[in-house]
Amino acid sequence: MKKEKIEKIVYVNKEGKRLDGRKIDELRELKIEAGILAHSSGSAYIEWGQNKVLASVHGPREVIPKHRADPYKAIVRFNYRMATFSVPDRKNPKPGRRDIEISKVCGEALERAIFLEQFPNTAIDVWVEVFDSNAGSRVAALTAASVALADAGIPMRDLVSAVAVGRIGGNIVLDLNKDEEDADDAVDMPVGILPNFDEIVLLQMDGLFSKPEWEKAIALAMKGCKEIHKKQVDALKKKYLVEQKEGEQK
Amino acid sequence: MKRIVVPGEIVTEERKRLGEHTFLRDGKIYSDCVGIAEEDPKIASVVPLEGSYKPKINDIIIGIILSEEYAGYTVDINSFSRCFLLKEGIRDALKPTTVVSARISKVNELNEADLTDSRPFFGGEIICVSSVKIPRIIGKNGSMLEVLKKGTGSVIVVGRNGRIWAKGGDIGLLVRAIEKIEREAHMEHLTNAMADFLSEGKPKEKLLEKTVGEEK
Repeated sequence: MKKEKIEKIVYVNKEGKRLDGRKIDELRELKIEAGILAHSSGSAYIEWGQNKVLASVHGPREVIPKHRADPYKAIVRFNYRMATFSVPDRKNPKPGRRDIEISKVCGEALERAIFLEQFPNTAIDVWVEVFDSNAGSRVAALTAASVALADAGIPMRDLVSAVAVGRIGGNIVLDLNKDEEDADDAVDMPVGILPNFDEIVLLQMDGLFSKPEWEKAIALAMKGCKEIHKKQVDALKKKYLVEQKEGEQK
Repeated sequence: MKRIVVPGEIVTEERKRLGEHTFLRDGKIYSDCVGIAEEDPKIASVVPLEGSYKPKINDIIIGIILSEEYAGYTVDINSFSRCFLLKEGIRDALKPTTVVSARISKVNELNEADLTDSRPFFGGEIICVSSVKIPRIIGKNGSMLEVLKKGTGSVIVVGRNGRIWAKGGDIGLLVRAIEKIEREAHMEHLTNAMADFLSEGKPKEKLLEKTVGEEK
């Protein structure tokens, strides 16, 4: 029998372009909108490549059940949920291992940014709904959640910006999509930082980096996060600038 | 033009006293919320554009009685915890759902407040706004409130917790005026703009009434 020749996928071509035409250090298209839900304290909607994520914040408010309340600081209850239609196969709406994990790590990342001690005995609820996902939904959720928190007027040290970096076909690239994440040697590393203080609040890794690769990856992630931070700031300010223009026209 | 700042943005790098909604890190002063940075030579502070009500001593608030206890009432003041109003000095018993104005006499470390000097309201309407917009609705030395009272002919009591009680006059116009203030709270010369809005609003309303009447 003749052996079939398996074609090797070239993830980054000679010109430095990836499968979807992006450069190695280029983000997918990113659109953020703040304050779109009327009945929550704060909200944000983000479209990041194919990812579509809606985040809403309620609170600070009373903690129920009461025994969960902390008399010294507020608690953050981050709830990450994927819609059943957000992935090619139907997602079981029951919170699974992955959903609970993402809720935990993203909640802890936000805890570092919020001045929790100003609101003892209260809870800040963050609800994140993923409508469409294509790799990097946890960083999209965290980015949207921090804009929603700022929109709710909750005192924060800084916004949280997050992005994934990884290795595909031996190249360190920024912001992986699903095709790249499925590569044979893929390493995926979501990083969340406080961009003004260069403080890391989220760091996970799926796979292994060598030391030089790691150094390159973290530098790339920091650069990506700063780009995202600019878009977050623009989204928050745009809300008022648009209103200002409307007011002037009237 | 006023500068809008977001959490983590530098308010000033100079040495100044820390005002509200700011924090110090590595000798620089940062904002902790979305707001407008005040340009004051001595104090660096940010006026927030969003946020919930946090009780402060001596604030006049408008609350709704929730239930009666042995020694007083629990009151909803649009904050994150309910507060307590002592029965002492209240002549007529208050019923749940009664609207009262009261002064905050004590706030503890958990932001739970005690109320005093209660005054029940009869009739009227409550307009809810964001509590951070209340200073704009009152204006400097009450200038904006005065414009609203004269323009609409209503009796208005403003609570610091984002509730406004109004009775009589043109409530519809008042609601529209307050919505306009809320929308444009970050803009300058708002009192003059509102005076224009209210003086123009009246004849327009009358015109609309006439056309409706003619159609019938």
